[in-house]
Amino acid sequence: MSHRKAAALALLVGWLAVAAGCGEKRPLLRLAVTTSTYNSGLLDVILPPFEKQAGVSIRVLAVGTGQALALGERGEVDVVLVHARKREEQFMAAGHGADHREIMSNEFVIAGPASDPAGISGRDALDALVRIAKKQAAFVSRGDDSGTHIRERDLWKQTGISPAWDSYFEVGQGMGKSLTIANEKLAYVLVDRATMLARENTVELVVLCERGKNLHNPYSAITVRADRVSAETFRTAQQFLKYLTSADTRRRIAGYQKNGRPFFVPATETE
Amino acid sequence: MGFFWEGLREAARLVVSGDAATYHAVWVSFFCTVVAITAAGVLAIPYGAWLGLFRPRGHRAQVFALRVGMALPTVVVGLIVFGFLSRRGLLGSLDLLYTQAAIIIGQFILAFPLLGTLAHGAAADLDRRVVETAITLGSGKRRALWAVLGEVRVAVVAAYLAAFGRCVTELGIALTVGGNLPMRTRTLPSAATLEVTRGEFGKALAPGILLLVLACGAALVTHRLSREARS
Repeated sequence: MSHRKAAALALLVGWLAVAAGCGEKRPLLRLAVTTSTYNSGLLDVILPPFEKQAGVSIRVLAVGTGQALALGERGEVDVVLVHARKREEQFMAAGHGADHREIMSNEFVIAGPASDPAGISGRDALDALVRIAKKQAAFVSRGDDSGTHIRERDLWKQTGISPAWDSYFEVGQGMGKSLTIANEKLAYVLVDRATMLARENTVELVVLCERGKNLHNPYSAITVRADRVSAETFRTAQQFLKYLTSADTRRRIAGYQKNGRPFFVPATETE
Repeated sequence: MGFFWEGLREAARLVVSGDAATYHAVWVSFFCTVVAITAAGVLAIPYGAWLGLFRPRGHRAQVFALRVGMALPTVVVGLIVFGFLSRRGLLGSLDLLYTQAAIIIGQFILAFPLLGTLAHGAAADLDRRVVETAITLGSGKRRALWAVLGEVRVAVVAAYLAAFGRCVTELGIALTVGGNLPMRTRTLPSAATLEVTRGEFGKALAPGILLLVLACGAALVTHRLSREARS
């Protein structure tokens, strides 16, 4: 055998070995989650136990709620974890989902510069937005059809204002990046508690508005309709949903904290 | 395939109907890139040619640095520019972050090594006699450099096309220091990325198609220029 042939053979064998290594035998579960959940780091706590117990590996896609639901509708993921109640209801009504469970919740807050030029500190969310609009203060909007953006638009709708002034910035990026931009611009921003908590040491912005029913932020998991995925995958997905609402997982969610403050509150018994 | 065609139809509709936001992104992409590569070229091409022709002391290290610069990931360039322009950065007081100027600065850094390296390569490959003739004909070094740039203009045009391609398609800078603000700093690549995260495949394809049109336009112009340069 010539050197060249030997080299080619070695390359082929090597490549096959790598390819075989990639083709992991464990079944795969595809999960689309919102960027806010992903950035919080919670998944590192709640996914590994299930992977071990069910013998699957979970592939996580961090996307906005809009894209997560679109992926679910096309059967490109098996489970979605999202936070936009109305969209979830539409998704279920259109028959794209099999099962819908609330997993946990936290709240949105309005963060802004400590100088608080619009004077929104401690006010109700709607009142705060009206004041920001009146001042035409700098405001960063996600603008990406994510759960947070959907909520923001919903709040504006309730105030009857359509936000469009020179320093209303629609940034079209994930929660982390939007917060960075707001921090640079010293702008107000609607942000979920988990992201704010994870980033509190790296941004100068402070929480100005919190609590109130308008800011409640429930997260739900939905399994994609059975005929969009294989029977085995569907069974695993249903099992995963059950796991997410189990007492064990609820304990893990509640225990996931920073400086003694939890990122999320697990949903109360849903069975 | 139905999914793809549906997306394509939606994209075509947006392109034809002249969607204001989409066309503004075309303008931002085109404007920033043209300004950045023009400015970079004015400095980098004579510099690269000078390195190639006269091989000054330390030219190897400089050429090496240019080559490294050619491989700089756009995200890294974005981060570096962000570090300078951030409110807490050295140039924070200029208030340039999230403006087109910030994108231009980033793309300038992207284009400079590319144009410099290509100009250096062309000048170094050049027949030494051209240089010597130019110098014996009584022109100074600067004139010789000028004459050489004339000789390598086909390579210069090609370098510009490469720089245009690299800058107009980049995303790392546009997102990190541009901020993807609509009707301000949203470029075609950042618009496409946003629509994908929104789950709007068709709307994401429209900027893709327009990018392709820009690339074709640039290639056509280059083609014409290099033919003229040859004849």
